[in-house]
Amino acid sequence: MSADFRTCPTTGLKVHAQADRLIKANAVVGVVALLIGGIAALLLLLTRWQVVHLLPADWFYRLLTVHGMNMLIFFILFFEMAILYFASAVLLNSRVAAPRLAWFSFWLMVAGALVVEWTMFTGRADVLFTSYVPLRATPWFYLGVILFAVGALLVVAIFFATLIVAKKERTYTGSIPLVTFGAATAAIIAVITLGHGAAIYIPTFLWSLGIGNVDAQIYRLVWWGLGHSSQQINVAAMVAVWYLLGALTVGSVVINEKISRIAFTLYVLFISMAAAHHLLVDPGLPPTWKVWNTSYAMYLAVLASMIHGFTVPAGIELGQRLRGYTKGLFEWLRRAPWGDPGFSALIFSIIIFGFVGGITGVTFGTEQINIIAHNTLRVPGHFHATVVAGTTLAFMGLTYYVIPLIFRKKVAFWPLARIQPYLFAAGMLIFSVAMTFAGTFGVPRRHYDISFAQAPFDFQFSPAVDLVMTAMAIGGLLAITGGAIYIAITVWSVFFGKPLEAEVKA
Amino acid sequence: MAKEGLPPGIVNPPRPLPEKAGESPEEHRTPGTLVLVLVFLAAFVVYYFVNWKLLSFVWRVG
Ligand code: HEM
Ligand SMILES: [Cu+2]
Repeated sequence: MSADFRTCPTTGLKVHAQADRLIKANAVVGVVALLIGGIAALLLLLTRWQVVHLLPADWFYRLLTVHGMNMLIFFILFFEMAILYFASAVLLNSRVAAPRLAWFSFWLMVAGALVVEWTMFTGRADVLFTSYVPLRATPWFYLGVILFAVGALLVVAIFFATLIVAKKERTYTGSIPLVTFGAATAAIIAVITLGHGAAIYIPTFLWSLGIGNVDAQIYRLVWWGLGHSSQQINVAAMVAVWYLLGALTVGSVVINEKISRIAFTLYVLFISMAAAHHLLVDPGLPPTWKVWNTSYAMYLAVLASMIHGFTVPAGIELGQRLRGYTKGLFEWLRRAPWGDPGFSALIFSIIIFGFVGGITGVTFGTEQINIIAHNTLRVPGHFHATVVAGTTLAFMGLTYYVIPLIFRKKVAFWPLARIQPYLFAAGMLIFSVAMTFAGTFGVPRRHYDISFAQAPFDFQFSPAVDLVMTAMAIGGLLAITGGAIYIAITVWSVFFGKPLEAEVKA
Repeated sequence: MAKEGLPPGIVNPPRPLPEKAGESPEEHRTPGTLVLVLVFLAAFVVYYFVNWKLLSFVWRVG
């Protein structure tokens, strides 16, 4: 048994060989999805930038589907599977509960993803990642999604089984670490999410085969139970990564363990109802239902993020102050390791997630205000600040630690790695703020041609729109550069990087 | 040179906290974070208000 473990020379953690391999496999596939989604992002950006207007209409919507699925589903979820193995087996010094099943689920997810890629690229599923009924894709598309989801659900089950194994085999003492607790809340939410997923994708799959019917309003209602909850998985996972990066980079302290745990629990309790903010202009639902769900229920989930948004920086500040950086208000921040991509990514992730993503999100979630924000570019502006500058950037920062700690490799192109979070964060900040402005002028999201060239009516946006769309393009290009550097660094380090052991012996 | 390619948090991990660190409540102040949080709340209020204002332009009452 013990031969299956190695002891990490840096952290002293015992790492199970299977956990090691599973983390690597999931992370690598995640980065491949990021690459596909990133290429699509470039082409979409150059199309929405009206000056270039690159793609023809059909390929715009096809690649918009490709981008949504690869980024929001495949990249994020494969990465989160890696995080689940890390937060259970590695952090608790345990073995993975059912390694064979774990590999089976991995391959199931890969197979599901490949089927979906095939349907999208061959034009059999131009339905965008929301696949709103009555848009109809080939049955294979829904089947691929279902296979992928079943695989993910199995990984979540293995995560919980690993927690039980670790407890039974007493691989750790005391209560589980906060990072593991955060990952566990993400996993619980994943179960809720995948429950909604089954409830909607199975009937829709049957409908695509010509069996039964799916009501458009019911579809939206249940689908967003999946769509919104899955975003809460990303938030919970991101916050867990915040705590982890804070500890790794500056030795931040957990100010109050109980409060942080309560905040994680709030996510579990209030997510499903908060999904109503996606349905605020839907005609089929009553205003009382909308108002109730998006006020009290949503604000309690928001409260949780605000608590973390306070405790994480406060933990960093306290950690730094206790180490002697006590001058003035901000010495702790000024003297922090800004050249550590793990640290800079952490700080930018917190700031852009909170200031841009959080504030816009809560505002649009207000029933009345939603009417002027719905389906405009303000919406992608909001979620590129949350799931891209927030979650993705945090995952990128974590990668710079995963490469040496799990892959046992040096991070390639180190000088580039140091500036990568700056490029990506600056780019994403400009991109999402510009999108938000464009949306405020009424520019629609998911729209191929805002010059309305062949439309029977004539419509002109405010001339300011040209300016903000250009800013959006510049920000997007900057972020894509940062993203490309990230992919180059990870792929190179993992496959051709200098192994660490040699360095240690030397 | 040896440090090239490894994050500072690994090469040069954060110093362990001093023995009695954080024991007195005096040491538990985080004024910097408080300032950041207040800036956040102010930004929130402004953005929220501006949006109601924008709404009032398109959705006139009376
Ligand atoms: C590298 C930087 C990125 C750029 C430049 C970029 C650009 C874009 C553009 C131009 C759109 C189309 C907006 C519209 O016309 O409505 C879009 C949509 C979207 N992006 Fe990104 N993106 C990036 C990264 C990401 C990442 C990392 C994620 C997720 C983790 C993501 C998730 C999405 C989603 C979910 C949509 C909506 C798709 C839809 O409406 O069906 N993006 N992005
Ligand atoms: Cu949502």
